[in-house]
Parts: sequence; C-alpha cells; structure tokens
Amino acid sequence: MRLPTDFYKILAFATRSALVNRRNVFAIFEMLFWPGVAIFSVGLLTRFLKLDPETVTFILIGAVSMNTIQIAQLDLSYALLYSVWAKSLKHEFMAPIKLAHILVGAGTVGLIRGFVVFVIMGFLSMWLFDMDLARPGVRGLLIFLTGMFLNAAIIGALVLALVLRFGQRAEVAAWAFSYLMLLLCGLYYPVSILPLGIRELAQIIPLTYFLEYFRHFYGFPLMSSHPLLYGFSQSVVYLGLCYALVQYTLKSALQRGTLLRLSE
Amino acid sequence: MQPAIFAAGIGKSFRTGFFGPRKQVLQEVDLEVGPGSIFGILGPNGAGKTTFISILATLLRPDAGQARVLGLDVVKDADRLRERVNLAASGAHFLWCLTVEENLKFYGRLYGLGGKALATKVGELLDLFELQPHRRVTFERLSTGLKQRLALAKALINTPELLFLDEPTTGLDPEMAQHIRGEIQRLNRDAGLTILLTTHNMREAESLCGEVAFLKEGRLVARGTMPELQERLGLGDRLSLFFKDGPAPLDYGRLPGVLTYKAENNRVDLMVDRAEKRLAAILEEVSQTQSKVIQVQLKEVDLAEIYHEITH
Repeated sequence: MRLPTDFYKILAFATRSALVNRRNVFAIFEMLFWPGVAIFSVGLLTRFLKLDPETVTFILIGAVSMNTIQIAQLDLSYALLYSVWAKSLKHEFMAPIKLAHILVGAGTVGLIRGFVVFVIMGFLSMWLFDMDLARPGVRGLLIFLTGMFLNAAIIGALVLALVLRFGQRAEVAAWAFSYLMLLLCGLYYPVSILPLGIRELAQIIPLTYFLEYFRHFYGFPLMSSHPLLYGFSQSVVYLGLCYALVQYTLKSALQRGTLLRLSE
Repeated sequence: MQPAIFAAGIGKSFRTGFFGPRKQVLQEVDLEVGPGSIFGILGPNGAGKTTFISILATLLRPDAGQARVLGLDVVKDADRLRERVNLAASGAHFLWCLTVEENLKFYGRLYGLGGKALATKVGELLDLFELQPHRRVTFERLSTGLKQRLALAKALINTPELLFLDEPTTGLDPEMAQHIRGEIQRLNRDAGLTILLTTHNMREAESLCGEVAFLKEGRLVARGTMPELQERLGLGDRLSLFFKDGPAPLDYGRLPGVLTYKAENNRVDLMVDRAEKRLAAILEEVSQTQSKVIQVQLKEVDLAEIYHEITH
C-alpha cells in the first residue's frame, strides 16, 4: 500500500463515517441507549432467576459481545449504504479507490465505536452486576476483543457484498446476519445444548471459539483443544473469502450496471 | 495527435428482470473526440447516452468493442484512467449530512489529496464556483443550483484532463442553466479541458459543443458540427409572417439565412438558419416593400425536429 495517497483514501471513509455518526442522533442511541438497555434487561433477568455469579457472568459476556459486534459491524455495513442512500455511489467508484480503502477506513471507525460500547457495557456489568471483567487479564481481553472485531469485519464485508448486489434491499441484512451468527455461536447458552446439526454449524463460526476462550477464565470448560487456533484461522479464511466475494460483486456490478442504478 | 476519446464497436445490453430477456442498449457505437474540445452526445431519453458515457467513465463495462480514453483502455486501465478524469451528472447527489466543504474534502481524499494540497484545492474550487458563503451548509439544505455547482466543483477536485458531464443543466432554472454553461465554457477555454457532455437540449448543445453526435436506440446515427448537421438536413428555425394585405412581393429565398419558404394567402413560412439573428434583417427587407406585417411567429428548431430528420 502506497503512502500517503492510500492513507488519505482510507481517511476519507473514516472521516465520513465519523461525521455521519456525530450528526446522527440514532448513532448515539446505538452506542449508549441499546447497549444500556441490553445490560440492564439481561442483568435484571439473571437476578430475577436467582442465577449463580458464574452463570450471570456467562450470560453478561454474551450480552456485551452481541452489542459490541453489532456496533462494530454497522460502520462497515453502512459504508456503502450511505452512498446508496445518498445516491452518490457512482461518484465514489469513479475515484481511483480500492475496496481495501473502504474496509479499513469505515472498519476503523466501527472498531472504535465497538470498543467504546465494550467499555461502557463492561463498566455497567461490573458496577451493577458484580461481573469481574478484568479476570482474563489484558492479554485475554485483547484477544477476545480482536476476535469480536474479526467477526464484525466478516459480517460487515458480507453486507457490503450484498449491498453491491441488491442495493438498499440489503439494509436489513446488516442486522439479520449478526443476529443469525450470534444465535448459533452460543451467546447466552453453551453450544453443547444446541440440537445436533445446529451444533456443527456453531463449530464453523469463529465467534464460538472466542466466546469459549473468554469464558474459560470464569471456570467454564473448553469444548475444543485449541479455541484460538480455530477462531483465528477460521476468521482469516472467512475474511479472505468475504474480500474475494466483495471484489466479485463489484466486478459484477460494473458489468450489470448496478452502480448506476443505485445512483439514480 | 492521439484522440482524447476513441470508441470502436461498443455494445451493451442489460437483462430486464431476473430471468427476462436482454435489452440491447448500445450497438456498434464508434466515436473519436479530439483533445481540448467540447463534444455533445445528443438523443432522447433512453437513447443510450448515459450508458455510453458511463462506459467511457469506467462505471460500466462494455459487452463488445473497445474504448480508450486519454490513451487508456477503459476496462484494463480503469484505475489509472480514474485518476485523470471525472464526472458530473444531472440531479447532483452527495451525502446529505456533510457540508459543501466536507463533501469536497471527502472526494479530494478519494483522489489521494490531503493536508495543505487538499485545503488549497478545496479553497480554490469554493472560490471558483462561488460556494465560499455556503461552505458550512449541509448538502440537503442547498438549492438545486448550488447542488449543481457543488457537483461541478467535485468534478474538478482531481484537476482532470477530461470531464464527463451527463445532462449537467437538467432540472435547473434558465438563469442557473446559463450560468453553468458559462462555467463549462470557461473550463474548456481556460483549462483546456476536454469535455464530453450528454444533453437533450438542442440550444445547449449548440452553444457549447464544437461537434455533436446523435444516438438513436443505441446506435450513433449522425455526427458533425451543428451548422453542418443543420445544413445537411436543410433544417432551421420556423419564422411565420402574417400580412394584412397579402405577402410582400419579395424573393424570400434570397433573404439572409432563409433555407426554404412557403407563401400561402396572407402568410409566409420561412425556414431560417437562426431566426433570432436574422429576424431584424428580414423584417427590414419586408418593411421596404411597404407591406404591413400584423403578426410574427417564431418557432426555434428543436432536437425533436433534427432528430426526426436524422432518423426518418
């Protein structure tokens, strides 16, 4: 990657995402209100059910992960949706940019927003529900965060591909994909209770392994011998596949005239 | 000298619906445009103008043929070409919540500009298009004319050598359209910019373009300078003179600019190359015969007429 022109192209998408978020009242809701609601409702539910502290932690980790990933993937998913909504897609692709500029630029803002959500929810969990978030240590926390952001990037890249293929109709996918993935990877329950067949699906989702790794610090058993190996290798493969898919859909969009249709 | 645009045998079709048949939008289009010129692509809606310009602007890949812009292949060298060209289209669309300045900075960065170079360029464009007073206004709050000025400013952010303008004045009021035309002429004159523009406005093409080409149902059916085409087709504005007591005794065919004429009862219909330019001289000649003109009707030749003549 050549500097500084590549840097400025990345900065363009990062700045745009940041400005849109700053001026959008819903972005504040996404970062403060919904994560707050999630941690309160899930936390109070665990109290009502009189669950033991370990199980409460298990469930709160799920709530924190879900919201962190949701927010982190949104900026990536919206990177092209902003252009589709503004009908300016053709002007963006008229410029000498590469998909990597969009992914890294918008992804960086998503990463920052996701981190802020993680910090807020972690703080609320510790303060209100006595969750010991610091127990895995800095290394454990960093690995878990990296895993979550890799999963967010996979979802975001998939949505980008869908936007390039289906346009505005792909908007719903920005939310649906992450919910589906989170349902399968044992967010609020151990993967072992999933029905046969579904359990196998959980094993091909990298987040399953990162959740398992993080929860083992709280006394929950590891289901696989090398969760980080599986988690990271799957993430790298899926990211590569998603990048290739987005490249393919862009090429296809240039052939089909999708960029023009989405700019009308 | 290498042409700024060279297209040979360009064809493009789109599928209608998911499993529907393919619709041919462009067929065997050949075109050569010299550097430093303003060239117009004319044709009615659906003729394939936007499809053609989009192929040249690397936003669409042709099914057939080859196109080179500034010596670069529009498919194989698309990345390199994008650095040297830009596009402004009708109905300017940019991100609604960014200000004029932020939108320009966003596109400037997409072309690799940053720091002082970006600030200088944005400042120049804000001055050039008189957007300085609106620099902090968000796009959604701009008037249509200001949006179009921003679109032109954005199209110059990378100091392009060739500019594609897709119906740049559509939807603008006459005054603003005239202002934009003035800017286009100035860019061509002062910066030596090659401009390819599509329009269905005959007057616009006439005032801006050195040469034009007509597209009909995806085929390029004629090209030439405006006077060449008008002369070739024997077309012009229609000037009707209504007399009180029969037509003036004149050889109307010898009047300045008259291409054809027809006299009938108290009315004479003249086909004139440019009525607004010739009207005074014609009326002067008529007045010398002492005949009294009670009404003058003028109908300027429009695209539909020329188009009809070309395609039928």
